[in-house]
Amino acid sequence: MSLPAALFLADGSCFEGYGLAFEGLALGEAVFYTGMTGYEEALTDPSYAGQILTFTYPMIGNYGISGSAAQYSRACVAGTVIKRIAEHPSHYRSRQDLPSWLTEQRIPTLLGADTRAITIVLREHGTIWAALAVGESALGRAQAELVRYARAATTKGLVPSVAARQARTEGIPGGPRVTLLDCGVKRAILRELTALGAEITVLPYDADAATITQTAPQMLFISPGPGDPTDLPQTIETLRALIGHLPIYGICLGHQLLALACGGATYKLPYGHRGGNQPVQMLETGEVLVTAHNHGYAVDAASLPAELLPTMTNLNDGTNEGFRHRRLPMAAVQFHPEASPGPFDARRLFAQWFADAGLA
Amino acid sequence: MPSQNVLVIGSGPIVIGQAAEFDYAGVQACRALREEGHRVVLVNSNPATIMTDPEIADAVYLEPLTLESLQAIIEAERPDALLPTLGGQTGLNLAVDLYDRGVLERYGIRLLGTPVETIKLAEDRQKFKLKMLEIGEPVAESEIVTQIEAGVAFGERVGYPLVVRPAYTLGGTGGGIAYDEAGLRQALGEGLHASPIGQVLLETSLLGWKEIEYEVLRDGAGNCIVVCNMENIDPVGVHTGDSIVVAPSQTLSDLEYQMLRSASLNVIRALNVQGGCNIQFALHPHRNEYQIIEVNPRVSRSSALASKATGYPIAKISTKIALGQTLDRIPNPVTGVTTAAYEPTLDYVVVKIPRWPFDKFPLADTRLGTQMKSTGEAMGIARTFQAALMKALRGLDLARETLTGHGFAQWSDAALDEVITRPTHERLFAVAESLRRGGLPARIDAICAASGIDRFWLHELAQLVALEERLRRAGAAEDVRTAFEAGYSVAALRTLGVEEPSVPAAAFRMVDTAAAEFPARSPYYYISRGEQDEMRPTEGEAVVVVGSGPIRIGQGIEFDYSCVHAAWALKAAGYSPVVVNNNPETVSTDFDISDVLVFEPPGPDEVEAIYRRTKARGVMLAFGGQTAINLAAELDRRGVRIVGSDRVSLDMAENREQFDAALARLGVARPQGRAARSFRQARVIARELGFPVLVRPSFVLGGRAMEIVYNEGQLASYAESAPPIVPDAPLLVDKYLKGLEVEVDAVCDGTDILIPGIFEHIERAGIHSGDSISVYPTQTIDAEMEARIVETTTAIAGELKIRGLINIQFVIHEGSLYIIEANPRASRTVPIIQKATGINIVAAATRVALGERLRNMEYGVGLHPRAPFVVVKVPVFSFSKMRGVETILGPEMKSTGEVLGIDATFAGALRKGFLGAGIRLPRDGGRVLVSIADEEKASAVPILARYAALGHRLVATPGTQAVLEAAGIVCESVRKIAQGSPHIVDLIAARAVDMVINDALGAREVSDGYKIRRAAVEASIACLSSLDTARALAEALESVAGPPRSLQAYHASRVGSR
Repeated sequence: MSLPAALFLADGSCFEGYGLAFEGLALGEAVFYTGMTGYEEALTDPSYAGQILTFTYPMIGNYGISGSAAQYSRACVAGTVIKRIAEHPSHYRSRQDLPSWLTEQRIPTLLGADTRAITIVLREHGTIWAALAVGESALGRAQAELVRYARAATTKGLVPSVAARQARTEGIPGGPRVTLLDCGVKRAILRELTALGAEITVLPYDADAATITQTAPQMLFISPGPGDPTDLPQTIETLRALIGHLPIYGICLGHQLLALACGGATYKLPYGHRGGNQPVQMLETGEVLVTAHNHGYAVDAASLPAELLPTMTNLNDGTNEGFRHRRLPMAAVQFHPEASPGPFDARRLFAQWFADAGLA
Repeated sequence: MPSQNVLVIGSGPIVIGQAAEFDYAGVQACRALREEGHRVVLVNSNPATIMTDPEIADAVYLEPLTLESLQAIIEAERPDALLPTLGGQTGLNLAVDLYDRGVLERYGIRLLGTPVETIKLAEDRQKFKLKMLEIGEPVAESEIVTQIEAGVAFGERVGYPLVVRPAYTLGGTGGGIAYDEAGLRQALGEGLHASPIGQVLLETSLLGWKEIEYEVLRDGAGNCIVVCNMENIDPVGVHTGDSIVVAPSQTLSDLEYQMLRSASLNVIRALNVQGGCNIQFALHPHRNEYQIIEVNPRVSRSSALASKATGYPIAKISTKIALGQTLDRIPNPVTGVTTAAYEPTLDYVVVKIPRWPFDKFPLADTRLGTQMKSTGEAMGIARTFQAALMKALRGLDLARETLTGHGFAQWSDAALDEVITRPTHERLFAVAESLRRGGLPARIDAICAASGIDRFWLHELAQLVALEERLRRAGAAEDVRTAFEAGYSVAALRTLGVEEPSVPAAAFRMVDTAAAEFPARSPYYYISRGEQDEMRPTEGEAVVVVGSGPIRIGQGIEFDYSCVHAAWALKAAGYSPVVVNNNPETVSTDFDISDVLVFEPPGPDEVEAIYRRTKARGVMLAFGGQTAINLAAELDRRGVRIVGSDRVSLDMAENREQFDAALARLGVARPQGRAARSFRQARVIARELGFPVLVRPSFVLGGRAMEIVYNEGQLASYAESAPPIVPDAPLLVDKYLKGLEVEVDAVCDGTDILIPGIFEHIERAGIHSGDSISVYPTQTIDAEMEARIVETTTAIAGELKIRGLINIQFVIHEGSLYIIEANPRASRTVPIIQKATGINIVAAATRVALGERLRNMEYGVGLHPRAPFVVVKVPVFSFSKMRGVETILGPEMKSTGEVLGIDATFAGALRKGFLGAGIRLPRDGGRVLVSIADEEKASAVPILARYAALGHRLVATPGTQAVLEAAGIVCESVRKIAQGSPHIVDLIAARAVDMVINDALGAREVSDGYKIRRAAVEASIACLSSLDTARALAEALESVAGPPRSLQAYHASRVGSR
């Protein structure tokens, strides 16, 4: 049995459809993801915490939920919008169909809505606060809740909601020691580091410099995560204290935090990059890589201090996609070389960083 | 790069496996080259193409695609460079040939784009396999064989079934699947012969694996993008050209999608491809395992599909890459804001369904395998798979608007299972009917097990089938809305019993390559029901040009040619052309041809919606062939304004009684005949007229189900096999007059008429005009007859109130002129007459339709002076792709394409035409096998004498031999089949002859003649089934053709001669 459902955007627009068989109200930032595959990875990507995710691809759930593609222990999105969901998935790895998984995960879901129309609004208006309501009662209070929410909405609590609470180790015992500052890491990143033989110490995003140093890392790795990097001034301070003392690498939010720690600036993109087809040019060679993206903020290349060299740029909108330190083993990229979901064009960066840090 | 003189080789005539997609690719390539300031020399023998228009290239050579003619063109034009990868397999093979023979080196011609080593590597199965193993990409266990015994040994070693793939052939010609040794021996025999290098790849069968394709682009700097991936609903085992294809893939997880994407990039880098490349994979349905099936380092049918599916112009960008540009520097032509280094992402689904010619060939083997059999395809774009599938299905123009029905309910379970297991063109409908019989989900498991079709598709189909069943039972408003959202039409709803369905508004959605992430400029739309509209207003007043749908026998690329010219003429006249069509292979569905492209089946719902949404001045039906013309009545009913010849003209031309009345008023003769409303009545009419008679249903194209019957027995067997007579379309029965056939295309504005030229056919009436060799200017008609033709054409056009194009076919019988038929629309000969005369009659007709007068245009009025050169159109058949079909020519059209020969003399043009059509002219002293029907023996003697005089040795069956000997012509004898081996068919099978002449006009029975003709097809030996053709070939053989000359040079000579 499906319930009436709708997505309300803070600009007053509303998109109707129906929901899964449970009532619910999600409040968050409305964003869209343009990848044609990878819904399981996206829905479990911690960087989508606090966001209502619209899939631009209209048929979602075709190959079910495998569990093995998940990037986190649970769904991370606040809500999701899907044009047409598959009730009869078909794949040898599928363990569950998407509607039942979303129901189990209690993710308010809007089905049958005009996802392209929503995307056009988000593109024209920019990312926007939204409420996704399923069921009569939620529909009745959604607009009032949205007004209240939008007045005070912030991304501040997002990283703590998905980051590790305590330290743990992963990877290959006895391997090169990588300490990973977890702001909401994806399993694929741990998989890539493990594939290179690393012994990984995962620390909470707010671990201080002394705690980090105690793990005797040969490389510090700053993970992606949700929200605005300026929400994490303490982490930025910690990084500033460590720069020059050990090799540091970062992805996505990690890239932004590192830029801020070096004195650079970040800014909010009009509607972010979320998908698997972003062309990134390596400035030193001219080579173009097709990369996976999931970010709403960007590093202002012009703000980077002289010792940081911009190394990559986005061919679509010219935003900064990576930098490295001119002298130190330190580099970061805005996109996701671990893919998952998305293309693996940039996967080699992990090995390259290991080599640069003297770990290989 | 400084301005270069660049040679582009086209793909020649349309054949199964190589269709209009290379016109689209060639046009994009030529335009891209000229955009960059280069001079283009184009060679292509296919006159129905846009690419061979003098406006597309600086020098257009309509010359045979042979090594000799290319060498002569190179000698004359001295190109600096050659672009080899945009002319299909034909163009590619020729380029490789020129390279191998040192021609390119001798003239200092540089190959642009993908290097020749790569082309050879991809084609040479053994080298390719080694290369793939070297870079760690899996390929199926396989062996290259050049001899049958080696193949049999491989089969014993690895087991059956085995896939047989001949090297260097197109559309998998000669290939197949062998289930046992006997099958392998047969397949190897055909495959080794089909391969020009006598090489065949045998590989272990991946039957049942998912078939996935990736379209990849790579530039010279090594940057790669995937334009599109595609998933075949039919698993490995059915040629991808014969498969139902979905873009993007639907059942692949992200990991699988990316695994194959990475593999594609690995392959294209290792092969050093510079431009477009197609990679076919087999993906195991239950394991994380794949195999590479094949790689095509060129633009292809799949890349045309990918271009239209995404909006990304692969051929154009490939050309720029070949010129040394890199993806990051080429602006993205779709979004205008990004670069070409951009992987399109879709927010819709695309489905392609092939169009097979089996409706024309009742004897054909309809099973699908590794050899492609379809002639064309229809594509549907929609927000869901179901809607895209239904749009593609409806777009096939098979008069099937639903998945279920169509008589499948009468099929037994066993018959359905047979087709589901061993696929034919009917499999989709068989699956639907099977699902309709219920018992889900076990039924789905059973179909999946038998067919290898993934459960995902079966569940989707099952939902549609259930919807159709609900609509048949009740027709609830909710279900009606769901049906429209799922791609159904008003006509479909009517067949399901919903008489007056309420139709949700049509929303026009943009194809933008970017899933709306960026605002796009492309004027490329599809229709979605129940969503938001995003069409921008047109700049000028809109006029809708209705396209012709999928390429099929009888309605080919020539109608696309006319639609494109109509769009251009509208633009030139200040209107905004809006094209609606659903054929992904064509130029008309390139989004920069019109101001608005709506990629939809050209059906009444769609045309009406477009007309209303764009507030168009009207719709033009005259250029989209019979498909478009057939919409007239329904559009008229819906209040859609038709510009040009309207419904009244169309009815008068197509309705027998009205047409006869019009002719009677004019005093124009036509072969006597009447419309029959039953077969019984047909017999009465035939007796009255006297046999032979010509019978055909009205309102058909390509002479479908048209036959000459010589007696009552033949009429009775026609009645058994012909489609039933329906009230709207009675059976036409005419006296058959064997005489000279003449064809005219004209433009009429109500006062004046423009006739650029008159064609005369080589074969006498009785052979469909599309299958006849036709000649311009006429060779045997005197001035008096010519004047009568012009006068009659003018009178008929006036009487039918034509405002635009009219095509009239005449027969001259015993000195009298009879009219056979008149079509108030563009015809197959329109592109040819435009090319021969340089007069753009499509533009003239378009302007007339908009109210302009001919006398105010630059084209002149009346009959134009004859050209000082001769053009000969020769039809091309795809019989080798169609096992079992009868090759004899008759009133039902069978050719898939055509070539043009142009020369200063008739004989020279004939010679070039035959050469271009791929007829291997027998060498001096070649052996010509003749078998002539008794009534034709006397007229055959002088023709065969010419072959003997040319030095050919004649071989004949006893009766024919006796007649020839009596006439003093030396002739060997061969036994008839009934006389036992070695007989005539053995001789052909052993390829002991170079050509067969088997005149059997009018024969219907499966006979010796049929076996002779089929044996010739299977042995790739030219077989002429009409003495008229044989006479023409003798003339060609006796003559010498002039050197190649460009169309521009011919046109200049015409101006000079005035």
